[in-house]
Amino acid sequence: MDSDERIQAASKFLLQSPPGEINDVLNDVRNIISDDESLQTGILPALREYNLAQFITADVPGHQHQCIVSEAARVQAQGEEEDEERRDRFWDPRSRTSFRFDHLALEASEPEPIEPETEAEPFRLALENASLTYLAAHFHDGVTSVFPTQGNAERFVVQVVANKYNPSNFWSGRWRSEYIVNLAERTLEGKILVNVHYYEQGNVQLSTTHTVSLELPQTISAESAPASASKILALIETEESKYQTSLNAAYQEMSEKTFKGLRRALPMTRAKLDWEKVLGYKLGQELSASKGGFAAA
Amino acid sequence: MTDLVDSMLDLMRRLPPMHVEENVAALVGMCPDYADDLLGSVDQPLKVMVDRATGREYLACDYNRDGESYRSPWSNEYDPPLDDGTVPSAKLRKLEVIANEAFDTYREMYYEGGVSSVFLWDLEDGGFAGVVLMKKSLTSSSPSEPSGAWDSIHVFEVAERGRQAHYKLTSTIMLSMVDRGVGQSSKEDKVEAKRDGEVTISGSMTRQTEQDHSLQDQNSHITNIGRMIEDMEIKMRNLLQEVYFGKTRDVVFDLRSLEDLEKARRQRELQKELVGFIKR
Repeated sequence: MDSDERIQAASKFLLQSPPGEINDVLNDVRNIISDDESLQTGILPALREYNLAQFITADVPGHQHQCIVSEAARVQAQGEEEDEERRDRFWDPRSRTSFRFDHLALEASEPEPIEPETEAEPFRLALENASLTYLAAHFHDGVTSVFPTQGNAERFVVQVVANKYNPSNFWSGRWRSEYIVNLAERTLEGKILVNVHYYEQGNVQLSTTHTVSLELPQTISAESAPASASKILALIETEESKYQTSLNAAYQEMSEKTFKGLRRALPMTRAKLDWEKVLGYKLGQELSASKGGFAAA
Repeated sequence: MTDLVDSMLDLMRRLPPMHVEENVAALVGMCPDYADDLLGSVDQPLKVMVDRATGREYLACDYNRDGESYRSPWSNEYDPPLDDGTVPSAKLRKLEVIANEAFDTYREMYYEGGVSSVFLWDLEDGGFAGVVLMKKSLTSSSPSEPSGAWDSIHVFEVAERGRQAHYKLTSTIMLSMVDRGVGQSSKEDKVEAKRDGEVTISGSMTRQTEQDHSLQDQNSHITNIGRMIEDMEIKMRNLLQEVYFGKTRDVVFDLRSLEDLEKARRQRELQKELVGFIKR
């Protein structure tokens, strides 16, 4: 494997990092590659891809809240100037702040004020308020961001992420959900992704995917922003609670059917094996077989 | 600087168990010099092979591998054939044959299906070591039925001390389950919706134990190891149940609460107020 292939393999490892363990994976990879210089530049695309896909959160400079750094949060380049520096500028519509995000240090810097497109802002703001209310009702440590779509005042992206990292007890978990609200097409398209890692003397991972697409009711319109936004978040709340309940049912089913079907807790006899008899069994089988042979002869 | 193998093992402890085979292959490609260390210490799902001589299924892992060939416990032959493949001494092979029959009975009693294999090898200091393998898979008969696989790998070392023997057992169980029928739309839905999804729980857990047991004859080794493995599997099955269906579920419900946290908060405050009111 040449240097490039090694970096590529390392990048694949990074993209598979469990919630909150990217630094641990990076440390391992760093030791395995043992070439910090090529690693540092080589893995940046993987780190960026991982952070955006995982809805990594950032402290917004100058504000007391966090926002989600994702593809939807990217500040669109003005004109043709798509340089490396501008690529990692994201924005938080809630505080109207844009910032540079460091994908290795996971820090936001160089804040600048940014103005949202005025046409979409009232409905986005209503969605944001409803989403913050929803977040407080169902997530212990969640972050939500609501983004407009450039050039389309009727399309919004609602994102939610909740993380729990508990390395001293060897577990971590992440809940991500994203909903595309399209007022023109009257659709709500969502996905929910849950990851859990448990690694005390082992490595056990839960990974779930769920997609939903439904039609928005006729009562929802851009004109009645606060009421419509509440209604949309109510739909999301119902969907997520329903999903969580069905997850419970899946646990039940896997435990009752699959787990029991793979290995019994005890043999049908409800007793552990008599190993002396187990050893004699084959011998006994052979004896009776040969006896049978004699009888037949 | 941390040991390279330690870093590799730490990495394998973190990356998704579903992809253990391709990740091990990638690591071997990155550090070919450490291939043996890695393959010897990372457990991978067992492969089911068919003995060409007897037509009987057996399991393939690093312990019955010689080069590219695997030895069958039933015929003692390598596949693809090897003229000089490593085989146990005649005395140990005799024990291996009996052990395979015994654990085949054990497998049938607990797994009611699946495949088992036992492999033994002589140790330089006069003792011997071995591995007991068991695998059972459940394929789903319909898309809404969950599927799963269980792989047991019990590696042990035996040191005889007169009428006693010392046993060291390292057990790994790999378990994976996939449910593709989660959260799909039902007739009771008030809103017309399209839903699709999948739940996967997969992983492995490892435990060790060391015990002394008495010996009557060579076959005592099988009853001793048999009881140790049986106890270990019972213990680990409980542990797996707790981690897979208890711990991972608790984390999900810790991330998102089904009940309305704000409502619960208001209720608690109201209760406090009431208590204060009554006390006054």
